[in-house]
Amino acid sequence: MAAIKAMLAKPWIWSFVAAAGVWMVTILFTAGASTLGLTQAALTFAAFSIIVGLGQMFVITLGPGNVDLSIPSTMTLAGTVALKLMDTNNGLIAVGILVTLAVGVTVGIGNYTLIKLLRIPPIIATLSSSFIIQSTAIWYNRGIRIKPPRVLAEFTTASTLGIPNVAWLALAISIVAWVLLERGIYGRWVSAIGQNMRAARLAGVPVDGVRVATYVLCAVLAALAGFLLSCFSGGAALNMGAEYLLTSIAVVVIGGTAVAGGFANVPGIWGASLFLFLVVSMLNTYGASAGVRLFLTGVIIIAVIIAASRRLGEGSSTS
Amino acid sequence: MNKSLIVSALALTLLSGTALAETADKRIALSNNYAGNSWRQAMLQSWDTVTKPAVEAGIVAAADAFTTAENQATEQAAQIQNLILQGYDAIVLNAASPTALNGAVKEACDAGIIVVSFDGIVTEPCAWRIAVDFKGMGKSEIEYLKDALPDGGKLLEIRGLAGVFVDDEISAGIHEGVAENPQFEIVGSVHGDWAQDVAQKAVAGILPSLPQDIVGVVTQGGDGYGAAQAFAAAGRPTPIIIMGNREDELAWWKEQKDASGYETMSVSIAPGVSTLAFWVAQQILDGKDVPKDLIVPFLRIDQDTLEANLETTPSGGVANVEYSQEDAIKVIEGE
Repeated sequence: MAAIKAMLAKPWIWSFVAAAGVWMVTILFTAGASTLGLTQAALTFAAFSIIVGLGQMFVITLGPGNVDLSIPSTMTLAGTVALKLMDTNNGLIAVGILVTLAVGVTVGIGNYTLIKLLRIPPIIATLSSSFIIQSTAIWYNRGIRIKPPRVLAEFTTASTLGIPNVAWLALAISIVAWVLLERGIYGRWVSAIGQNMRAARLAGVPVDGVRVATYVLCAVLAALAGFLLSCFSGGAALNMGAEYLLTSIAVVVIGGTAVAGGFANVPGIWGASLFLFLVVSMLNTYGASAGVRLFLTGVIIIAVIIAASRRLGEGSSTS
Repeated sequence: MNKSLIVSALALTLLSGTALAETADKRIALSNNYAGNSWRQAMLQSWDTVTKPAVEAGIVAAADAFTTAENQATEQAAQIQNLILQGYDAIVLNAASPTALNGAVKEACDAGIIVVSFDGIVTEPCAWRIAVDFKGMGKSEIEYLKDALPDGGKLLEIRGLAGVFVDDEISAGIHEGVAENPQFEIVGSVHGDWAQDVAQKAVAGILPSLPQDIVGVVTQGGDGYGAAQAFAAAGRPTPIIIMGNREDELAWWKEQKDASGYETMSVSIAPGVSTLAFWVAQQILDGKDVPKDLIVPFLRIDQDTLEANLETTPSGGVANVEYSQEDAIKVIEGE
């Protein structure tokens, strides 16, 4: 009983409860026949949200006002540049990955330069840099869809031990993120800055170093997600990152990370990413119209957030 | 107020003048609300390809293209107001909203400026509209399937962006077609936002819950390739997926055709419709009497025209037709 109570006090449990509930309702439609297909599809598409969501989670944890709006354009730029350079050539995969990482590092440093040197609030800085990045992508290839190298296309669409490869990758990245956050000094620093930047600075936390590292981390993860997504879906498109702007923020919030910063958690990103994919699938399966679907999606998200935040409050007052 | 009166008086004299009136000193602007996909990129490129020679040949003085960053009606309204101040004689408009720009369009008309809207048209009566018969386009998909699949069967519908009237129109056409052909039944409907990755994700999500015997996928363009990939990933046989003239869709179709004789058709609007709008604006400036509502035919590709169209479609682009002045005159005269 105590164990259950302790579980319920975790802010991330509610995103999993919601995801499992929606999953059950969806497979009930076909009396269980869709179990395997739906689970695999959910893991595949959640993987991309998880990768960008982890980056956004670290940024949001830096405290009020910190959010990265340049994620979609970074995904697009990394996908288009890497695929164009590799030009379907299996031998150039390493180059493609290096270029992807370089795009991420450049965008991250660029974002923080705007924030720090020009003293622009992060939300405005990353919004304006997203225009520059998106325009660069348009200028670079005018919407050309180049197919990914065959090896990459096969890797991103295949499964190992029944789990999609992209989900394995997301799992590996999540474990690294969890170690960074829960066991490493970097995670403590990020949380400390998010709780009180002035206090963190006085306590000797290298505030600027941590913040620039966080924006770079977020941009690198976005670039990586863009690279994987363009390999997975058979080519980069100029509008391919668009839906990940709100998704990246939503998975952080639904996953139980504090919007005001200072408290992050990795498992919630998984629950929330699976949930967001499954809720759309469920409403599509039951034939809800677009209006009803958007309305119900909003209502369900609000319900999950309320459940998560109430439990969080109770948990901390009784302990 | 005075100035706009003088300008409109001037425009009136010009319009009522003889058809010989020259347009050599006229400046035309393109106001575009969005550039972030391959269709819009092709649209802007067609505009360039056709208007540059026209400017060099002295048919018009200028044909400048302007695109807003955020795809917002308010932003485009401000852009139109700027274009009015800059003294353009005509504005060719692909609008973010059919109604929200009416105020700005009315201001332009009051200033004596010719406004020709296309693709994303506006309802303001003073503007010209070059519309696509989206409903007919949706219906033509079912008409094709009726011949390809005489026995009918279950269909999956991929819609566009929820809340955009183009999506409602195409879908209404599809449903009208299904109502007339009860051998077909739409068993699932998802929104693919006209984007390949969104369509792939939505189809992958609903596919496990759908019956195995889906015979056709009706689409709106930009989503066919994503649907094909979702079917392949789920290990299902590929039904007839209607394509939307994108190069990736046509290339995939060609691959399947060569491998297994796969048959389908592809239909969409040619992005070059911007050049039709350009010539219509030029004709109006030239004093021609042009009806306010024009219909542009959609571009359809069939099994036998696939190779020819694929050859002329740039990698990553959209099958396209650019219009000439003669084409515009034909459309105006209703031929």
